[in-house]
Amino acid sequence: MVDSTLETILNKVQKPGRYVGNEWNSCLKEHDQVQLRMVLAFPDLYEVGMSNQGIKILYDSVNKDVDLLIERVFAPAADMEEQLRQEGYPLFALESGKPLNAFDIVGFSLQYELSYTNVLNMLDLAGIPIYSKQRGDNHPLIIGGGPCSFNPEPLAPFFDLFLLGEAEEALPLLLKEIIINKQNGLTREELLVQLSSRQGVYVPSFYNPLYSSGRFSGFEKLIEQAPDAIEKNYVADLDSAPYPTAPVVPYIQTAHDRAVVEIFRGCSRGCRFCQAGYIFKPVRRRSSEKIIETARDLIALTGYDEISLSSLSSSDYPGVDELINRLDEALAGKGVRCSLPSLRLDSYAVTLAEKLHQGRRSTLTFAPEAATERLRKVIGKRISEAEIYQALTAAVTAGWQGFKLYFMIGLPTEEDADVEAIVELCRELRQTFRRQGRHNIRFVISIATFVPKAHSPFQWEPQLSMPSVIRRQQLLIEKFRKMPWVEFSWHDAETSFLEAVFARGDRRLAPLLEKAWQLGCRFDGWSEHFSYSRWQKAFEALGINPEDYANRSYSYADPLPWDHLHCGVEKEALVKEHRLAFSVPAEQGSEG
Amino acid sequence: MRLLQRALRRSTLPLAYSQGYNPRLRLNLALPLPLGVTANREYGELYLSEKIDPAQLISSLSAQLPAGLELLGVFEVSAESSSLAALVAAACYRAKLVDAKEKSLAVVQIERAVSKLMAAEELLMPRSGKKKKQISDINIRPYIFELRLDSGLRAVPEVVMLLKAGSDGGVSPFYLLQLLDACEPDCGSEARQWSVERESLYLISNGALIPLTEGA
Ligand code: SF4
Repeated sequence: MVDSTLETILNKVQKPGRYVGNEWNSCLKEHDQVQLRMVLAFPDLYEVGMSNQGIKILYDSVNKDVDLLIERVFAPAADMEEQLRQEGYPLFALESGKPLNAFDIVGFSLQYELSYTNVLNMLDLAGIPIYSKQRGDNHPLIIGGGPCSFNPEPLAPFFDLFLLGEAEEALPLLLKEIIINKQNGLTREELLVQLSSRQGVYVPSFYNPLYSSGRFSGFEKLIEQAPDAIEKNYVADLDSAPYPTAPVVPYIQTAHDRAVVEIFRGCSRGCRFCQAGYIFKPVRRRSSEKIIETARDLIALTGYDEISLSSLSSSDYPGVDELINRLDEALAGKGVRCSLPSLRLDSYAVTLAEKLHQGRRSTLTFAPEAATERLRKVIGKRISEAEIYQALTAAVTAGWQGFKLYFMIGLPTEEDADVEAIVELCRELRQTFRRQGRHNIRFVISIATFVPKAHSPFQWEPQLSMPSVIRRQQLLIEKFRKMPWVEFSWHDAETSFLEAVFARGDRRLAPLLEKAWQLGCRFDGWSEHFSYSRWQKAFEALGINPEDYANRSYSYADPLPWDHLHCGVEKEALVKEHRLAFSVPAEQGSEG
Repeated sequence: MRLLQRALRRSTLPLAYSQGYNPRLRLNLALPLPLGVTANREYGELYLSEKIDPAQLISSLSAQLPAGLELLGVFEVSAESSSLAALVAAACYRAKLVDAKEKSLAVVQIERAVSKLMAAEELLMPRSGKKKKQISDINIRPYIFELRLDSGLRAVPEVVMLLKAGSDGGVSPFYLLQLLDACEPDCGSEARQWSVERESLYLISNGALIPLTEGA
């Protein structure tokens, strides 16, 4: 669906493959053959969005319905944006090439805070007013979903509605209800009132935030029918939930270019910093029969040569080794290899990894998150020092040549000693391996900064102040510099700071987002595009002190901007976990 | 290539895989396209684990190919015959000048450069040897079987090149275009932009080049 203007545009951009669609398994329906047209918008590049399984699941579940169609659009890269603006060509959906304005619904997938400026930019490129109140009956309804919709307040004035929780079942039903209401001639406002009583639907304009002495103090409902609290949707039974066996196969290389079967959803580990562990509760399993059937279909319909058994913590699937055996049998002779991401750091995981890689032994990846046993107890990552040594020595014995280890700094109760322990751990592991006669084990160490997230037990905790984060990073840089056998990388402190500002932000941040976007902020999650000085300008212009958001510690009694959005975990349970974290005794863990 | 591999995997053909931990489809292209060159057809060979009717292969695979990609023909060869890649000896490219501003002038300049190159006895191309530090020059003049301006009635200058290619050495069409441009250093300040298409492949047979065609 490429007209001549678009052709000229595409000739001038770096990767036209991002914008042409038409991939294998993409679904092109006639707009006048369906009752409602939606475009699924991902506020990041095609390569990133097409690696997101949620996008593929929704694409499948909505297109399955004969009355509905769903197309895709991704954030245009800087060169494409320039061309679109220059030519006055509106942002368009990949399948039909139609501008977003030609759709009834634009639904944004909100995966991370640092994509928010792209949301505004995409609306603007489509010629759609960014504020909900500026839009009329002839504009599409702008809806949002995904993890960030559990605290969408910084985006609230830009959206008409958020759909909380898992959407593969809820979204088609919501769209069907919209069809009926439109047939009944409801206005936009009436429609939103009507929809607001559905489970998982949050219409932010019906809730007016209140502030007292500069702090958020609760909401006042503007419409009687709007519920006091919104309960998320979730899929009760994965086996009967829609799952794509014929996902779109991109032509251009994407971040995760392989077939994916989700083996379970949710995570039983409950690490206290981890939002995903809480918002995806309860843990639900896909049966091994269903997994194998899905895998077989996926390979037959996509032609991928790799299948990933995905989940938040894949080695926790009961009987996963048996599952792998059966999968191997089912796919024998097809030249397909299996991969198991997100392994827990223990000997069992090493056995599994060995089984999967059968000789291709390069680097094993684990996330111990903290290097001292005490701190791991605080954050709820229950792996002992002994287990770590056991697992890693077993891996070395099995022939693995290196490890990639993820750690976090700035965790609650953390001291310099905990940070230095990361270096110590590497050093001692190396010593141990040397005694085993393995001298060339590689270490790749990646350090993130703790970001307090809504709906996790650490939601009340402050982020470590930026200067302290930088100081602790320097500490590590100094030490690792002398250890050339460690490949060391860390997350930019300013980026994590901004993430923390928005993760617990309230509605007052909306004008800030608009300002930052106007100042040119885009793709803030990409270090080559991120400009903190632009953000600083925006903060100054609006008189907002970002530290009030990122570095603030809340008390249990403080009203939180996301209190009315329920993810299924009671606040009391979070309080209990939070208390437990701080009851861990201060002394060092046993093996130090 | 990835696209083709995936299409093959989707088909129900009895594919053969390489041995080892990381089995790969046994699919080889006669001569991979240099980066930046387009072609309207490609030749390759595929190994199967059992004998099937070529017509069946065409129908199974065609069903899995995206629009714009067509399977033109399938021929069975014995597993003992030498690989296509080993047989390929030369490739013919057609280069078109993109965004030519003064077309007539360019034609004259290119014509002059072409005859200059063809008249030369030796054209040295620096080549980095196996060990990085050694750099030896090789004479690529014998690699040029044909080089001519083929603008004819067409307004845009086009250069046709028949160049040695394949497993025992060859020269990139872009290198030749660079040489062409370098012949006339003072014409046109900007480097010329060419779009290059590969037209056909050649085999050597009894000392003569014969075009690789379907069925050859
Ligand atoms: S960090 Fe990983 S293991 Fe821990 S709760 Fe989150 S997903 Fe589960």
